[in-house]
Amino acid sequence: MEHAEYQELLALEAVDALDGRDAQMMRAHLESCPSCRGELAELRDAAALLAHAAPPAAPGNEVRERIMRDIQSQSRPTPIQAQNVVPFSQALSAAWPNVLRLAAALAFVALLLGIVMLWRRDAASRREIAELARQLNRQQRELQVERDNVAKQTEALALLNSPDARKLALAGTPTAQTARAMFFYDEKSRHGMLMIEGLPPTAPDKAYEVWFIPKGRSPMPGRTFTVDATGRAMISDNFPREAGDSMVVAITLEPKSGSAVPTMPIYLASPAS
Amino acid sequence: MQAEPSQIADDDLLRAISQGDESALAALYDRYRLILFSLILRILHDRQEAEDVLQEAFLQVWRRAADFDQARGRAFTWLVTIARSRALDRLRMLSSRSRLVDPEAEPRADEFSDTGAEIVKSEQGEIVRRALRELPEEQRRPLLLAYFEGLTQAEIAERLGDPLGTVKTRMRSGLSKLRELLRDRSRDLV
Repeated sequence: MEHAEYQELLALEAVDALDGRDAQMMRAHLESCPSCRGELAELRDAAALLAHAAPPAAPGNEVRERIMRDIQSQSRPTPIQAQNVVPFSQALSAAWPNVLRLAAALAFVALLLGIVMLWRRDAASRREIAELARQLNRQQRELQVERDNVAKQTEALALLNSPDARKLALAGTPTAQTARAMFFYDEKSRHGMLMIEGLPPTAPDKAYEVWFIPKGRSPMPGRTFTVDATGRAMISDNFPREAGDSMVVAITLEPKSGSAVPTMPIYLASPAS
Repeated sequence: MQAEPSQIADDDLLRAISQGDESALAALYDRYRLILFSLILRILHDRQEAEDVLQEAFLQVWRRAADFDQARGRAFTWLVTIARSRALDRLRMLSSRSRLVDPEAEPRADEFSDTGAEIVKSEQGEIVRRALRELPEEQRRPLLLAYFEGLTQAEIAERLGDPLGTVKTRMRSGLSKLRELLRDRSRDLV
């Protein structure tokens, strides 16, 4: 992500609403960007004032007493009774004869040797475990992709079988003449699925973004997405209650984190009614 | 401490607390107990839990006051962040989250009204509530869901049934607008 894209997400970070990859990337960026840290501090100051939106209430009087009692007990930890404590070194020298010292030294050497052997065996095991973990991670990722695909297909089928299902065809504009897409949606649940094909692959810092355009109103941003090697994508999203039956659905190319207003040109769009 | 507690700046109180001054903690508690307790109770909807969390939050202030750095933000923000984080941690810990948070619940009618608000009816609070009322509902609601219920952007989109991109844009606009509304008056705010 570019610096400007992080700036766009700072407000969400200020109320801790970022999740997944966005949150991880934001944390890494903040480490190295004093300007974003400063902006975030200002936004956090504004967010902190949201506390005033809470309905007013007062704690019981005993809470103050409990706090003061707790901090007093933390401030003055009870000293250990000195007369009951025997210094460890004195106890040791009085109780252990030389034979025992020798035995202890031998045991210590044996223990050290054992530790070295275990450590070497452990290093080999750890290498094997790391390799197995890598394989497992790879398989889990592949499995997750498959699961996501199955979930999307199941969702699409459920949507298609819904008696309230509607569909909207999106055609490629001169920018992406071979692209086309179909938007299946359910007006009642305001949930829809977009199946896209023929879009060119995006640069690493770019993504496509869906727009819902209610009649006579400004475009409302939907999800960002990228296409696979064959130019296909299948995404699900809610669409705004303002959209209505006469909405236009369009797709543009945007910075990876998405834009608040669409950048031209449009790649795909449904016909305006 | 020499001056009247009510005249001492937050930063100075926190510095005194970091040096083990119990009266400074008591003064800070008296100054912020209402707003912090209201915040925690709004998150947890349970007085007993909220009082426990308020106590934990002030114990954390007692132990960690030396970590506060006024160059990195205001003392009020630091206190609110501690109280909110602990309340949200408690909320997540409680298995009865579904009981505490009703997904179908509409924003509470009393959220911006001053009904019964005498106990925290400060001028500063009124300025903020007025600014919040000026935000469009579509921007205010996702912000409050993030703030009081600890929901992420994706969870808010799911809860409101709005597209994720729209939720992001509205939250961004809402918080920026709130900051603008408060910017000129922020020096007078707590």
